[in-house]
Amino acid sequence: MLTGRNNPRSRRTRQAVLAAAVTGALTLTACGGGSSAGDDGDVALRFSWWGSDERHAMTQELIDMFEEENPGITIEGEFTGWDDYWDRLATNVAGRNTPDVMQHEARYVREYADRGALADLGEFLGDTIDTDQLDESVASAGEIDGSTYAIPTGINAYTLVVDNDLFAEAGVEVPDDETWTWDDLISTAVEVSENTPNNVFGIQNFGFVDAHFEVFARQRGESMFTPEGDLGFSDETLAEWWNLIVDSRDQGAEPRPSLTVETQAGGIDQSLLATNRGAAGFWWTNEFPTLVSNSGHDLDMLRFPGESENPGMFLKPAMFWSVSSQSEHPEEAAKFVDFLLNSPEAAELQLSDRGLPVNVELREQVVADLEPADQLAADFLEEITPDLSEPPALPPQGAGEIQTIMQQLTEQVLFDQISVDQAVERFKSEVSAAVG
Amino acid sequence: METTETAVAPRKQSRGRPRILAHTGLIIFGLLMLYPLIWMLSSSFKPTPEIFSQPGLLSENYTARNYGEGWTALNQPFTRYLLNSAIVVGGSVIGNLVACSLAAYAFARLEFRFKKMWFAIMLGSIMLPIHVVIVPQYIMFSEIGWLNTYWPLIVPKLLATDAFFVFLMVQFIRALPRELDEAALIDGCGHFGIFWRVIIPLSMPAIATTAIFTFIWTWNDFFQQLIFLTDPEMYTVPVALRTFVDATSQTPWGPVFAMSIVSLAPVFGFFLAGQRYLVRGIATTGLK
Amino acid sequence: MRDTEAPAVVSGSRGDDGDPGQPPARDAAKSDGRSRRAERKNRQQRTGNRGVPYLFLAPWFAGLFLITIGPMTASAFLSFTDYSLLAAPEWSGLDNYERMVDDPRFYTSLKVTFLYVGISVPLQLAFALGLALILDRGIRGLSFYRSAFYLPSLLGSSVAIAVLWRQMFGTNGLVNQALAFLGVENAPGWVSDPDTALGTIILLNVWTFGAPMVIFLAGLRQIPHSYYEAAALDGAGRYRKFLSITLPLLSPIIFFNLVLQTINAFQSFTQAFVVSGGTGGPADSTLFYTLYLYQRGFGNFDMGYASALAWVLLMIVAALTAINFLASRFWVFYGDD
Repeated sequence: MLTGRNNPRSRRTRQAVLAAAVTGALTLTACGGGSSAGDDGDVALRFSWWGSDERHAMTQELIDMFEEENPGITIEGEFTGWDDYWDRLATNVAGRNTPDVMQHEARYVREYADRGALADLGEFLGDTIDTDQLDESVASAGEIDGSTYAIPTGINAYTLVVDNDLFAEAGVEVPDDETWTWDDLISTAVEVSENTPNNVFGIQNFGFVDAHFEVFARQRGESMFTPEGDLGFSDETLAEWWNLIVDSRDQGAEPRPSLTVETQAGGIDQSLLATNRGAAGFWWTNEFPTLVSNSGHDLDMLRFPGESENPGMFLKPAMFWSVSSQSEHPEEAAKFVDFLLNSPEAAELQLSDRGLPVNVELREQVVADLEPADQLAADFLEEITPDLSEPPALPPQGAGEIQTIMQQLTEQVLFDQISVDQAVERFKSEVSAAVG
Repeated sequence: METTETAVAPRKQSRGRPRILAHTGLIIFGLLMLYPLIWMLSSSFKPTPEIFSQPGLLSENYTARNYGEGWTALNQPFTRYLLNSAIVVGGSVIGNLVACSLAAYAFARLEFRFKKMWFAIMLGSIMLPIHVVIVPQYIMFSEIGWLNTYWPLIVPKLLATDAFFVFLMVQFIRALPRELDEAALIDGCGHFGIFWRVIIPLSMPAIATTAIFTFIWTWNDFFQQLIFLTDPEMYTVPVALRTFVDATSQTPWGPVFAMSIVSLAPVFGFFLAGQRYLVRGIATTGLK
Repeated sequence: MRDTEAPAVVSGSRGDDGDPGQPPARDAAKSDGRSRRAERKNRQQRTGNRGVPYLFLAPWFAGLFLITIGPMTASAFLSFTDYSLLAAPEWSGLDNYERMVDDPRFYTSLKVTFLYVGISVPLQLAFALGLALILDRGIRGLSFYRSAFYLPSLLGSSVAIAVLWRQMFGTNGLVNQALAFLGVENAPGWVSDPDTALGTIILLNVWTFGAPMVIFLAGLRQIPHSYYEAAALDGAGRYRKFLSITLPLLSPIIFFNLVLQTINAFQSFTQAFVVSGGTGGPADSTLFYTLYLYQRGFGNFDMGYASALAWVLLMIVAALTAINFLASRFWVFYGDD
């Protein structure tokens, strides 16, 4: 008699299950990442970036444009929001699955370059990648020890955006941004808060972004990091910074802490400026248009307070383009980077979304086409450029954590859970641990 | 094969006034408990601005627009995420059913060396926090190229790592009479035959419970799916939902609630259809 | 009282009531227990080999070693290294553990997690027991109420509900609108204030009391009427009955629920992640241990440190479970005296 295991019925079942499993396996692996060989021998590149929906749509068009001009190359775009971008990139790199062309950022370039994930573009510079028109003051921002691991996409600067309408409503004059101090900023903001309805404030809390502190420190001849990668600021400076924030809270220049936390979580669209609940806030110049369209008021850009003696503001490379060191088609990848940097049509599409173009010729061309709000931003940049100092060197690896550390400590200071001095100590130790 | 409910006679009804009081209290409390769900359902049919300006349940402007908007609001149409979740859940259910029933049969019916020790280990693994193994699993799966596929989510189920269900089925099988086993043995069945022809058919309630619980728990699972799926195209429903809320722009609450309802609907459906099994399953494992 | 799954067909199955069918050719049919066992073993040996159990267990063994024990060992090893995924692990000895001792956020996460477990689990079990007692008194529509209370516990761990909760307790959320309706103006944003943010998550866990409630209900069902009747005859009031009969007889189940819910609560992640937007904020007030582990391991890719954190979590959960078991000797009454 046949025992159960050799029963034809169970054998058939097992075969069916096996077949299903194999089919399933094929489908599932097909759903994973892309492969490098396209159809009929085309070169296929993977390209990753982060951004908003508008940027995604626009970048897709850029890809289509490039593919038209270069029939042998296809580009597969991968995009996420800022929050997930670095997790994914790290995973991809670890899995030897790095995109060929990547959008990158100052705080992370070093980490990836040191790990050997980024290609040295030196051989392509001046050749496949035309560098004639690239703004010299920032073009080499992605250089480490003579090798170019990243090229800036465009320039940006941090600015204080103010709402002229709200200032007018409060009957407060917008101070002269070439001479004012941080204390002026606070007292002006307090005045605005007091002279407007209860839910409108002078300024949005500025302790959540490390770049603000960078400017503050540079105004005092210090900086976040030294070129060697050590901490470059003094305890007093950092304490002064946080004490300013405590004052802002205590005197009513900014909202109560829990509202600040909620506002921060809502991003730019929920910011005080965008929702007509605040008269000032620190933002990047290329975020200005979004604020304008959201708020509907007459907005303007000012320099940071405290710039008169020792300017701390700097032109920041908004983002970078990098090529993977594992790319199978570095030449084509470089070609795409060149397209992104130097093609007039590409510039016309991108405008100032990734910062003002780093190609100075295209920059002039683009400025003429900009929307009024973008134009204002461009004008502002041009106006302040002569007074700016060199951008800081690429921060050491682990710098990506700094903003999170600052945010979390600022929250604790705001809610009186730790003193400013304790916050300073913690900041120093946590940042050292992060980059150490 | 019936549950505890038939074992003891039902309680006598308590009399008159206390009963009405109890009913009223229970109804009010029940409504309070369920209100968030009802509110979310109602809000999903209201235009977003109205959700906050008029937070009552009733509205004059009911619209299904949120569902349409929410469906296409992310990188991919929501159908994609539903499909992804379905794949993961389908694989998990099959995996659990196959692997756990096999292991349960061995523990319940077969003898082997160190059986008690292995059983204890199996029980212990139920309580193991996944966080202890997630980092090496992540590394391991990354090395073999399984990151961003569904394998890390399904293969563990195929290997009976959901020991809870092994335990559930063991309890169940232990209570089945051995006579049928022995009858099948006489007929010349090997163990697999007994397993397939006797135990499995009789274990349908436990199987149903396993399937339903696996479905619900996997459908709702967030942590593992968040970690192993890095490409937005591969996201399952929970991960996609969270992207909705943490995007850098304003949270569109109408569409978010609409998609939340969509994501909870299958769970709710299984709940309605499989209540008996759910309740029985919980009760069974609670009473060793 | 304990073996309750299949009361209809129970203990007669051990083969004592006469064996159906023909005895195997090898052994003569004897009627004492010893040779019955020998018969069974022989049968087993004949129909397969000693390897059959291992075939059935093969998937489970594979899972145990590849997915559980292997990674556990690996993570123990990793906890002594510095590993960021982008390069090979570097041995660092006890560095990670030393770092933990000096890490203020580690202590914060422990505090937050213990607070969460310590408050929400007893509360949740209290509701579960309370409702079970009420429902057990023979209310009509029991299954309707039971389902209504059970539904939240099925949905409670989902992202959708966490999202809803975050909105409900926001500054302009449902809860504050309701409060405004009742005349309480300007209520704070519950999720953005460090004093109350954890409370909202605790509330979420308590909301899911349905699952332990169902278990309690089943347990209450099994307490025989006769006990209560006997007590009533002795003049015991309702309160006395509860203390002397219900609680002790229910204690194994209370214990079971306690252990299970405690372990569950320690592993909570989704709620804290979604409500705080992944930050554990505001000001680390919702920094659950698992969330901190996630931030370190998958946010900063500090995998060595995350592994060390994971092992500490395991030790804590094991210790608490052991304490629970030891303490149970003093209050759990198993009824087989």
